[in-house]
Amino acid sequence: MTELLRVENLCKYFPVEQGVLTSRIGRKVHAVDDVSFSINAGETLGLVGESGCGKSTTGRCVMRLLEPTSGTITFDGRDVGSMKRTALKAFRRDVQIIFQDPYASLNPRMTIGEIVWEPLLVHGIGDREERRNRVKELLEVVGLNPEHINRYPHEFSGGQRQRIGIARALALQPKLIVCDEPVSALDVSIQAQVVNLLDELQDTFGLTYLFIAHDLSVIRHISDRVAVMYLGKIVEMGDWRGLYDEPHHPYTQSLLSAVPVPDPVKQRTRERIILQGDVPSPIDPPSGCRFHTRCPIAQFPKCAEEEPPLAEVAPDHRAACHFAKPFPINLQGGSADAG
Amino acid sequence: MPALLEVKNLATHFTTRDGIVKAVDGVSFTLEQGKILAVVGESGSGKSVTALSIMRLVAEPQGRIVSGEVLFKGDDVLKMNDSQVRELRGDRIAMIFQDPMTSLNPVFRVGRQIGESLVLHKGMSRKEAFERAAELLDMVGIPHPRERARDYPHQFSGGMRQRAMIAMALACDPDILIADEPTTALDVTIQAQILELMMEMQERTGAAIIIITHDLGVVADMADDVMVMYAGKQVEYGTSDQVFYRPLHPYTWGLLASLPRHDVDEKGALRPIAGQPPSLINVPSGCAFHPRCPHARGLCSADAPELIDANSGHLAACHISPDERLLLQPPGRGGGVR
Repeated sequence: MTELLRVENLCKYFPVEQGVLTSRIGRKVHAVDDVSFSINAGETLGLVGESGCGKSTTGRCVMRLLEPTSGTITFDGRDVGSMKRTALKAFRRDVQIIFQDPYASLNPRMTIGEIVWEPLLVHGIGDREERRNRVKELLEVVGLNPEHINRYPHEFSGGQRQRIGIARALALQPKLIVCDEPVSALDVSIQAQVVNLLDELQDTFGLTYLFIAHDLSVIRHISDRVAVMYLGKIVEMGDWRGLYDEPHHPYTQSLLSAVPVPDPVKQRTRERIILQGDVPSPIDPPSGCRFHTRCPIAQFPKCAEEEPPLAEVAPDHRAACHFAKPFPINLQGGSADAG
Repeated sequence: MPALLEVKNLATHFTTRDGIVKAVDGVSFTLEQGKILAVVGESGSGKSVTALSIMRLVAEPQGRIVSGEVLFKGDDVLKMNDSQVRELRGDRIAMIFQDPMTSLNPVFRVGRQIGESLVLHKGMSRKEAFERAAELLDMVGIPHPRERARDYPHQFSGGMRQRAMIAMALACDPDILIADEPTTALDVTIQAQILELMMEMQERTGAAIIIITHDLGVVADMADDVMVMYAGKQVEYGTSDQVFYRPLHPYTWGLLASLPRHDVDEKGALRPIAGQPPSLINVPSGCAFHPRCPHARGLCSADAPELIDANSGHLAACHISPDERLLLQPPGRGGGVR
């Protein structure tokens, strides 16, 4: 498999502005701090974490919608950070994004035809007639009626709008699509439709996804590999099966055990780790391991002083914890099933 | 003795420019002391409006409770005058809202807001109420409660605000706690804390809980009984085990089959429900679910099915006969045989 995207030591700090006149230099939000990963062509990497962990910022840095503070991003063998206008425009053809909110990410004054058409126009693809046909084709691909080309976004439901967003992302035949919480605003029955559509499109067009979400079940369903983020850092990363069956990092373990499963008997009998307290502020992240303030297995002073590296714990499975150990999550419930 | 809460044939309609929205259209259920009832459904299914109607909080004049009875210990809440309802609200029936960011008043100290109902209902002085508020904050697990009671809501994190909301709801030791999507705005680790807290509080105070949610995981975690709603109507009602392991209605089947699960070994394909949720202005004829139902037949579009007892208190509103259901039931869902 060929590597499509490589992110190395990515950092993104946002300055904290205080007061009207004094923009004090020094205090920064460490949104993304030394994050490295790679995605192979045709693969889906799931990026999961709670709000404020830096997963969306990572996605935006990858697309250069945000300028990284430091670190390198290599796409298809080229350095994204040093791209100038023409190269960057070409890069933007190859990398597209689907946003979370299907209500806010479509211009209400444009018809859905115009919305899907715009990328083709910007990149000067085809003539008028060809573009029009392409738009119709795209609407059909995402399961919308091509005759609705002249309707406005408000005439569609949430799930249908998300399909419009997907058609727009597909218009330029990208290689990589950053999916930033694409289904979290949708009802479950509609969420499943969109997840299945994304799956199908990946097979049909050989797409690569960076799939960002906070829902661990959705991430597990769609991802080949998964990275778990906490306070700007990747704390665990690996093949989906290893990570879900035998999480090594206590944060991943508590995340997985905190998600209620839709099965009353399992839910009553399974073991749960309930974390205490809230996520600390990313302005002054905790020293050493950032998770040590909430960690059920932290040992002091080591965890508060020394930052654990993201080290290999099993083949294609890395965790950043001094005391990483496999923890088989007992999701099947404690009851011995007869039959 | 009358049941703690009995809702009979409740219907709440809204008048809009486009027509009449039948948000809740004939809902009936009974809530017994100390039980947890989950109301499940997708957006627009009428779950929140059901809760608001019980509390008489539907915004008039657009919204109107057009029929039904809400019997709290035998007295009809819908027939009460305003001052009687005010005595009930916050005192005997309390509510927790979805969004802890907007449901606290930003200009009052948290302690004062929690104490407000104590001043109103229990005749405490401001000072006593503030003391009690600090105790309540302690009970819901907020560190340094006496100092934090003097904080304003913006100084609290999302999880702490939801804890404060729970403290507020529990202040007068209500008989019923209605929680409308109490954890939807929270992260999973915080959600786990809040659900744990709610169940702990429920055990301690013996209150009955109505929890409104779209998350079937939360339902499985908490509920004794489950009511599934679709387009303003109940489509299924039963104990949690009945609804999860022997679901009767094709909509419930669809909901369960569309969930990605992280608790089963293989990644099964998701089987979404086809189509879109209906408009509540032009609700499909007959069974509102028939345009999306894979098992619909002629009768379904002509005749609305009644909610009937299929098996010891397990109700469903569907034309499919019990024998046929055995053949249709989607395989592999919770085994169905426990």
